[in-house]
Amino acid sequence: MTRTLLLIRRRLVTSIPVMIIVIIGTFLLLEAAPGDAVDAYVVSTGGDAGLIEALRQRWGLDQSPMTRLATYVWALLHLDLGYSVTFSRPILDVILERLPNTLLLMGSATALSFGLGSLLGVAAGAHPGSFRDRFLSIGSLALYAVPGFWLGLVLTVIFSVQLRWFPSSGIETIASGKSGIARALDIANHLVLPVAALGFIYLALYLRMMRAGMAEVWRLDFVLAAKVRGISRRRIVLRHVARNALLPLITMLGLQSASMLGGSVVIETVFSVPGLGRLAQEAVAGRDTPLLLGIILVSAVLVIVINLIVDILYGVLDPRVGSGEAAT
Amino acid sequence: MIAVHRFLRSPEGLAGAGLLLIFAILALSAPFFFPRDPLSIAGPALIGPFQDWSLPLGTDRLGRDVLAGILHGARTSLTVGIAAAAAAIAFGAIVGTLAGFAGGLMDEALMRITEAFQTVPGFLLALAFVSVVGPSLAAVVIAIALAAWTGPARVARAEVLSIRERDYVASARVAGMHPLAIAFREVLPNALPPVLALSSVIVAQAILIEAALSFLGLGDPNRVTWGGMIAEGRAVLRSAPYLSIFPGIALVLTVLGVYLAGEATVEASAVRKGIA
Amino acid sequence: MLAGTASLLASTALPSIVRAQEPKTGGRLIAAADSEPRNLNPAIVASNGVFFVASKVVEPLAEASFTGENGLEPRLATSWEGSADGLSVTFKLREGVTWHDGKPFTSEDVAFSALEIWKPLQNLGRVVFKDLEAVDTPDAQTAVFRFSRPTPFQLIRNALPALTSVVPKHIYANGDIAENPANNAPIGTGPFKFAEHKPGEYYRLEKNPDYWGDGLPNLDEIVYRVLPDRAAAAGALEAEEIHLAAFSAVPLADLQRISQVPGIEVISKGYEALTYQLVVEINHRRKELADLKVRQAIAHAIDKDFVVKTIFLDYATAASGPVPHNSTEFFAPDLPGYAFDPARANALLDEAGYKRGDNGTRFSLKLLPAPYFNETKQFGDYLRQALAEIGIDAELVNNDVAAHQKAVYTDHAFDLAVAPPVFRGDPAISTTILVQSGIPDGVPFSNQGGYKNAELDALIAKAAETLDPAARIALYRDFQTKVVEDLPLINVAEWGFITVARNSVKNVSNNPRWAVSNWADTWIDA
Repeated sequence: MTRTLLLIRRRLVTSIPVMIIVIIGTFLLLEAAPGDAVDAYVVSTGGDAGLIEALRQRWGLDQSPMTRLATYVWALLHLDLGYSVTFSRPILDVILERLPNTLLLMGSATALSFGLGSLLGVAAGAHPGSFRDRFLSIGSLALYAVPGFWLGLVLTVIFSVQLRWFPSSGIETIASGKSGIARALDIANHLVLPVAALGFIYLALYLRMMRAGMAEVWRLDFVLAAKVRGISRRRIVLRHVARNALLPLITMLGLQSASMLGGSVVIETVFSVPGLGRLAQEAVAGRDTPLLLGIILVSAVLVIVINLIVDILYGVLDPRVGSGEAAT
Repeated sequence: MIAVHRFLRSPEGLAGAGLLLIFAILALSAPFFFPRDPLSIAGPALIGPFQDWSLPLGTDRLGRDVLAGILHGARTSLTVGIAAAAAAIAFGAIVGTLAGFAGGLMDEALMRITEAFQTVPGFLLALAFVSVVGPSLAAVVIAIALAAWTGPARVARAEVLSIRERDYVASARVAGMHPLAIAFREVLPNALPPVLALSSVIVAQAILIEAALSFLGLGDPNRVTWGGMIAEGRAVLRSAPYLSIFPGIALVLTVLGVYLAGEATVEASAVRKGIA
Repeated sequence: MLAGTASLLASTALPSIVRAQEPKTGGRLIAAADSEPRNLNPAIVASNGVFFVASKVVEPLAEASFTGENGLEPRLATSWEGSADGLSVTFKLREGVTWHDGKPFTSEDVAFSALEIWKPLQNLGRVVFKDLEAVDTPDAQTAVFRFSRPTPFQLIRNALPALTSVVPKHIYANGDIAENPANNAPIGTGPFKFAEHKPGEYYRLEKNPDYWGDGLPNLDEIVYRVLPDRAAAAGALEAEEIHLAAFSAVPLADLQRISQVPGIEVISKGYEALTYQLVVEINHRRKELADLKVRQAIAHAIDKDFVVKTIFLDYATAASGPVPHNSTEFFAPDLPGYAFDPARANALLDEAGYKRGDNGTRFSLKLLPAPYFNETKQFGDYLRQALAEIGIDAELVNNDVAAHQKAVYTDHAFDLAVAPPVFRGDPAISTTILVQSGIPDGVPFSNQGGYKNAELDALIAKAAETLDPAARIALYRDFQTKVVEDLPLINVAEWGFITVARNSVKNVSNNPRWAVSNWADTWIDA
């Protein structure tokens, strides 16, 4: 218990410098971008010099970057994420509106790729070199090599346009007035294709890691010892090999949590899912620095929480970490 | 030698190496077969494949030769993939080794920076970077490396942490070797295999990220890339599917090749390590 | 009359109005929207992205029409008349109109909108209403616009559909107009009330039961579904998830195929008053491009036929000058042209003293295609190849929207750029802005190429205050001839958009600004 608490404390303490680096880095990156929020805005509206000047003043863009950074950080210390000029709403509202969609999408896709990937990985790694192994690993690789947007488009054409099994876009039936279970089912129905597109891409990652990990473990002494002791192959696979090979996968889970948010930018665009990934893209396109910072902060918190869970899980699963008892 | 031997005995490795060889040859021969700019207009628009033998894979929306695009695209896609992966792995391995071996404050500082990069979703970082710098091949390569170096860094560090306690490192210390020499001569080479195991993933991802950036309109418009071809073909995915299928197949095969060859190499070298 | 140029594929473009059917009422129309404007107040932001949603809620004084006098039909105004001295315009307003919140619509609202919003805040109103001094309201149904300098009534008339969206005074009178919540949830007099906006998902409009139009609107609801990806609209239409995709949301290259899908119609009518122009902007600060011969060579290097056939798949017309063909009022028919002639182009470049170097290149350029449309980017790809043919090496720079705006219109960091300006029915508020000098840096879609021609400037200024329509038209014809001669920019093509709709949707494209009109008579044959 205390170990977990210590872990949480350490995580929180170390995230502070991380967050500072992220905020300053992101701010400077977007500051270096050609064009500001007003440039992005007047493209859609037109406008003369007076209007443009007035807008810059209204949106506070006439101040120096350092002043704006200071203002931003000061507000942030008061837990205020600021105001989005591209949405003309508080940033926290905008983000909280999109967050559940992204969490649903990412969570389901992670579950799919991790669950199915590690299962298939075990199936492949149980008999290294077999036909099943080769088929699974090469098949998943081919899937991994397909660009996400293309997979998404093809899934849409097959399953929503031709077969009409699933809706082609959106997160739920628009203005349907559904609630409760009916709404949950409706959302689940909308999520099938985007989750499949996102999840299948990462499937190969877990499958191959599992398989590679198992191949490593097969060669370790304790497995040989178990073989010598005459323990059944199935038992060896599940109890010794797979369990030990699972550890790096869990680390990967932590690592992938951030990259999946990136992957969802494209998937959210293809399937018109109003999520954080698309919002981030809109923030970049609209040069809405505070909004992008807000999204990155929120996703950073997510990543930190996920990694914390991973750390704890790792401790539980791997007897070598922390407890002091050297296993095998 | 044993490693090479081992590699050659693995059918996956051979297949992978074969695929890569084919695409490398295609890439190198592109200027020979198609000396003109592959973006130049070669004939009427939207000729289907296998209809006109001077344009065997047909033409795209503007009448550009698809085959020329695929051959020249092999050059850019492979360049992007390899350059980005090399940069990411070299940088990541150095950072990881330094952090893991030095420990203490150095480790803290480097890992915080690594974490900061990891906290920002890689694709998002690449997207923002390319938006800021403007789409060019170099920008795409740097953007992908920026997004991908943290994986190698973390893996290298974890590996170094376990290696640095091993006997041969301890004996090197006792022998009075310079810590940096130990880090880069004794530890890094042994930590490298799992890091290199990531290279296939990174090359693949680099090619895919380039495609995704093109999809969002952030590819280099002066070069043909497979990603760009797929992205352009998607508007006519239904009426002229070949426009995205041919570069798609090239992309999938290349990524497969990279993977298979990469993996066989890792396995072969793992055996070597086991024997040593 | 106005139609014709854009509707070349007549076989696929039979509008549903042809079959006279008794309209059915009720139902929900679902349309695709590719963007979500930050500000939905059409009185402040007169742009098609805003109108697409807001024109159903907030109405202008008059709307464009295929059949009406001067191409107009009444909306909130029932008649309009300009004085001979050009100093006043009198509008008679419709009676019995109420705002969506139940308050009556009066001349006070028109006066407020004109003086407090159109003139000071609206992107285009700042040009047209710059000399508007006062609006007299002798009674609730009369508004008299008074100008300090003569303002052509023709210009005011042409500006009515796009520039005169009327918003309620009682909502906007207090507080900062730019930050009024009604900018995001507009209140108007239109056939539909604004119901809700779920960002990233949809806008929903509801029937206004108290609409002044007899028995209108037919629909109960309009929902705009946000589909940012261009490939999504076609799929959603085929899957019967949406009824309608306007503004070429279905890519041109996919139209041939989708027109074969049963139940789906491809309609090229309904954009006659929303003509977009494909132009090559030229930075005259570049020594080579300041030379007329070089500009002429570039004009000769562009195969407009190819552009129309291959890039626009015949859904466009080759341009002959700065005013599009379908502006029958202003178009000058006999302009000298620049035929596609690479040999002539090469000769001109040689004459200008830019010989080919050893690698076949005369000089290099930076070419920035605007990122807003597929077609502008494709034309950029084409132009690079066309220039290569005449020995000009063009490097394409693909920027995103903000970076393009900054690079071209503020920093002038371009040599050639591809732009899609809109022709807004009158040269004074559209095409002349790309030629006129003295426009401050940063104004989008304006002359930022450093071009300065005193003669053209004088022409533009004179036309802006010429009251007699015939004289004004003559001035603008002269303007067109001079622009084609001196090539401050190169006009390549002009196009309208395409609507793809399920054929159950009726009364589609029955006016020249249909996509941005009020859709009161649109109905669904369920």
